[in-house]
Amino acid sequence: MEYQVLKELELYPVRDLSYDFLGIHFESPFILAAAPSTDNLDMVRRAFAMGWAGAILKTTSVEGTRVDLCYPMMSTFDHEGRKLFGMGNIDLISEHHINKVEFNIRTLKKEFPEKMVAASIMAGRKEDWQSLVQRLESAGADLIECSFSCPQGNIGEDPGKMLAQSLSATELTARWVKEAAKRIPVSIKITPHVTDIVEVAKAVKRSGCDALTASNSIQALMGIDIRSFAPLPSLGGKSTYSGMTGPAIKPITLRTIAEIARNVDIPILGTGGASTWSDAVEFMSVGAGVVEFCTVVMHYGFRVIDDLKSGMSHYLDDMDLSSPAAIVGKALPNIVTHDDLPRQKIRSHINEKLCIGCELCYVACRDGGHMAIDQQPNKVPRVDRERCVGCGLCQHVCPVDRCIDMNVVA
Amino acid sequence: MTPQQAKIESDRCLQCFDAPCMSACPTHIDIPKFILMIKTSNVIGAAEVVKTSNALANACGKICPEEVFCQSACTRGKQDSPIQIRELHFFATQQEKQKGFSATRRFPTSNKKVAVIGAGPAGLGCAFELAKLGHRVDVYDSRKPGGVPRNSIPSFRLAARELESDTRFLSRFFRFKAQSVDSRGLERIRKTHDAAFLAVGLGKDRMLGIPGEKLKGVLPVLKFLEKAKAASSGVKIGKNVVVVGGGNVSLDAAATAKRLGAHHVLLIYRRSEKEMRVWKGELEEARKQGVEIRFLINPVSIVGKNKVAGMKCRRTRLCKRKDKTGRPVPVEVAGSDFTVEADTIIIAIGQTIEANWLEGIERRGGGYVKVGENFQTSVPGMFAGGDMIAGEGTIVQSVAHGKYAARAIHEFLSAK
Repeated sequence: MEYQVLKELELYPVRDLSYDFLGIHFESPFILAAAPSTDNLDMVRRAFAMGWAGAILKTTSVEGTRVDLCYPMMSTFDHEGRKLFGMGNIDLISEHHINKVEFNIRTLKKEFPEKMVAASIMAGRKEDWQSLVQRLESAGADLIECSFSCPQGNIGEDPGKMLAQSLSATELTARWVKEAAKRIPVSIKITPHVTDIVEVAKAVKRSGCDALTASNSIQALMGIDIRSFAPLPSLGGKSTYSGMTGPAIKPITLRTIAEIARNVDIPILGTGGASTWSDAVEFMSVGAGVVEFCTVVMHYGFRVIDDLKSGMSHYLDDMDLSSPAAIVGKALPNIVTHDDLPRQKIRSHINEKLCIGCELCYVACRDGGHMAIDQQPNKVPRVDRERCVGCGLCQHVCPVDRCIDMNVVA
Repeated sequence: MTPQQAKIESDRCLQCFDAPCMSACPTHIDIPKFILMIKTSNVIGAAEVVKTSNALANACGKICPEEVFCQSACTRGKQDSPIQIRELHFFATQQEKQKGFSATRRFPTSNKKVAVIGAGPAGLGCAFELAKLGHRVDVYDSRKPGGVPRNSIPSFRLAARELESDTRFLSRFFRFKAQSVDSRGLERIRKTHDAAFLAVGLGKDRMLGIPGEKLKGVLPVLKFLEKAKAASSGVKIGKNVVVVGGGNVSLDAAATAKRLGAHHVLLIYRRSEKEMRVWKGELEEARKQGVEIRFLINPVSIVGKNKVAGMKCRRTRLCKRKDKTGRPVPVEVAGSDFTVEADTIIIAIGQTIEANWLEGIERRGGGYVKVGENFQTSVPGMFAGGDMIAGEGTIVQSVAHGKYAARAIHEFLSAK
């Protein structure tokens, strides 16, 4: 017998993941970053219906700005058999006329009043920045995000430079934007490609803007075809630097958010490399108030929201935390300078029962550590506790979970 | 599976959209979703996804014949090898069991009462779904909830405790009435309930109808399997056992006989291996236990004075003509008789409905209860599912019958 697939009846209660951030009510910390996924009204509608808490619509600019796109624009950094470990794009801003973006915001706010709808903007001249803010605010946007960091952008002081790479330009432009916003908060989306991210954050803080979005994609050269020497993505043999996103950039973003949060008192929208609920927990634990997602959605679709919400709910239950907001900043006291790290005597220990005899720890230590692991006839290597300094390399190359421990020696 | 094995395996899942594995599962578990959850270490979330769709989550995780359902459809199988979906499913439900069942939501309440007769996979699947829809459910069974998986699937395939975690979880969703139902009972139930779901399974062994079947030592397969499962210290079995039949139940019986200490177990089947309707795992298990399987043999008579001494058999050959099942018909080869020695003979050629209180309910071929697309029998308000309507099936198919019948019952009650 064949049955029609019916929608399942819910069996489990839905945990409330909502809280306020920047004076806005968020149903959950999970929102969509300004990207292709948020450029089309039907796509955002679908995302909202599936449970995303908000969306930052793809970056718009002033009317008449020609968006000169090149195709193909996507590329990927595959790692050891895994696709899209990093994703590269040479996309630009939305091709939609600002009128269309205004219409989308109005429509979405009408259909989904409980969702956070934000606009992302980019401009050059003061009057352009300000008119964008005014128009989108009146259209009903809950938040304005300003892209000061589009990797392909040419709106900095120098061609090819990003606005957020100049402290003075950042502060000045941020001031213009903040001036124009009457009620709604403004966030400046910055790049980690700077000498001192803290200085940039301070400049934004001085401007009076409400928040930072940290951080944009990483400028990258996605690869070279080694036969034709065409850089990737190849457009008739030519290419340019891409903006890389996805899991590969997560540690960079974590550091960027942490460094800002440790030094500047300003709310942060975290973005750049988060794919799972636990990534979101990490972002929030170093200071992000909400987390924006893009690459995972472009890879697997909006449906990943189910796991984001379910995983976060179970995590909060396990940790006995009342709200996602309670995670924010939890890890910050534990990030210290190198000088302040505890100095302990550490030794590696291989659990013989779990060892599968691959000898990866042996070869890693021999050629990249301290030649402190010895081969054994039974293929279970032995750590020489005299030579071992406790660096931890062996633990990380070991393919078996919990097979190698790093123990503090009294 | 260890957590690390589960992680590695879940990582292999392609996360197909509109995934074929999901359509291939009779209960339509959202497989890519629960596998993604295992991948992100949200294992309890994964178990919840499984349990939302499948009432007998642990039992199916343990013994569902994945090679004919989800795994047979896995897209990854076209690249290298299919994802071990059942193992991942079992990993998730086991983790949830260890941690303690997740709290369930409050269901709506209707003022309707539904009787479910039979606490096997179909009955439990139906009761669970009806409870979610807000109906009060009374489940009737003379034996503890669990049906075939509890009473006759051998412990080496499904241990009692594995099923108990399902029945324990489900017991909060209905009132269990430990009573058997007869025709008067059914009348009473119909008066006190707004609808009824029949799912008492089969229960009566088909016999061969050959001379000697009354001899001591001839065991109908269900009786044998039930006795073997119920006995804590094992049951006595002869030295030479012959099992007649070529289905999963016969393989279960043969493997059980071997495990009980039978010296030699011979399984005879009248067609060839190709025509066997069995799960690969079961066939492998029986062979691993040392069961001898001989094909193209028909039993002719059982010989012995007071008790079984042997079985007279005749060789068969397959002719071109096909029967209703689409398989070639075996015909006996004249002059090919031979006798095998045996002290125990297990007849495992299928079952029919045992219940004798189904008067007035239309049947179809094989004596099975006839139902329409919505699982309703010829009697309005009386629904049926499981092996009663379809013949011997799998747990997951029966759970699906119950689940989808519950939806139909809900529609029936809403229209009332």
